[in-house]
Amino acid sequence: MNMIPDFKSIATKSPWIYRINAGSCNGCDVEMATTALIPRYDIERLGCQYCGSPRHADIVLISGPLTTKVMQAALVVFNEIPDPKVTVAVGVCPISGGIFRESYSVKAPIDQYFPVDVNVPGCPPRPQAIIEGVAKAIEIWRERM
Amino acid sequence: MNFLQLFAHNLTQGPFTDPFPFQPAPTAKRFRGKIEFDPETCEGCRKCEKVCPAGAIRFTKTDKGLEFDCWHDSCVFCGNCEFHCPTNAIHQTQDWHLAHVQQDKYSMVAHGVIPSHECPSCGKPALFTAAPANKVKGFSEAEIAEFRALCPKCRGKYLRDRKSR
Ligand code: SF4
Ligand code: SF4
Ligand code: SF4
Repeated sequence: MNMIPDFKSIATKSPWIYRINAGSCNGCDVEMATTALIPRYDIERLGCQYCGSPRHADIVLISGPLTTKVMQAALVVFNEIPDPKVTVAVGVCPISGGIFRESYSVKAPIDQYFPVDVNVPGCPPRPQAIIEGVAKAIEIWRERM
Repeated sequence: MNFLQLFAHNLTQGPFTDPFPFQPAPTAKRFRGKIEFDPETCEGCRKCEKVCPAGAIRFTKTDKGLEFDCWHDSCVFCGNCEFHCPTNAIHQTQDWHLAHVQQDKYSMVAHGVIPSHECPSCGKPALFTAAPANKVKGFSEAEIAEFRALCPKCRGKYLRDRKSR
């Protein structure tokens, strides 16, 4: 019976992150890649690591204003991620549409379609701001586990 | 750089990694972050609202006066508003701590009110906006305060009267 609390304490250590590009201009994606992949910002200190498959992910970072074309694909990928997942919207595009707001071809804000938990505004947000957002997401994720 | 050089460098200089989030992060002096609005120096020209490419700034007329709102979840931090503002009433700070949980989405706003009052000359309601700098060149402090309290019509009259004096 006490397997479950033990499992919980181990499982809540290192969330894996996954990113979905929902039609981003690539600015936010570059910053997200920078945040995780170069030693200068090194998000692995928080236990996070990018994973290649949505099925291994715990925290999902979404960038871009959700273009009409990419919407179905993004939803399919998003639904592949196992619960409990935490969704982080990176950049002003997914949060409100930002510079693309009210365009005919975007579906922003994405919280109409995805259950967003944390927002990181900026165009693009600096890597430290993304780290801050991920730290908030980890807190939420630990509560949910 | 070979391994030994790198090893020696890391031993003496420490790692390249930024200490954030365990220590404050270095921020450039001209970093374009959060918007700050000062209703005291705003002329109410609404230029910032016009030039904002993301439509983040909105002015609304209410009973209290002219209300300014800038939504940080739409702002792209381009600096256009600051560049075009004639009085520097709107400017960007170095603050980039904007990550927030979903519940706070609609409270990420820089807010300010330019109060409405009665024009001491004609008694009509007017906005208590700052005096445009190019109009009050050479005015004394008392004159600026007097000019500022007036409504647009009486401001024009005041300027004409002063010229003919
Ligand atoms: S927020 Fe800015 S940088 Fe990020 S995807 Fe949108 S337009 Fe590009
Ligand atoms: S903040 Fe500056 S640009 Fe905007 S209305 Fe006031 S004076 Fe004009
Ligand atoms: S920085 Fe740019 S996007 Fe932000 S409020 Fe000013 S003009 Fe609008």
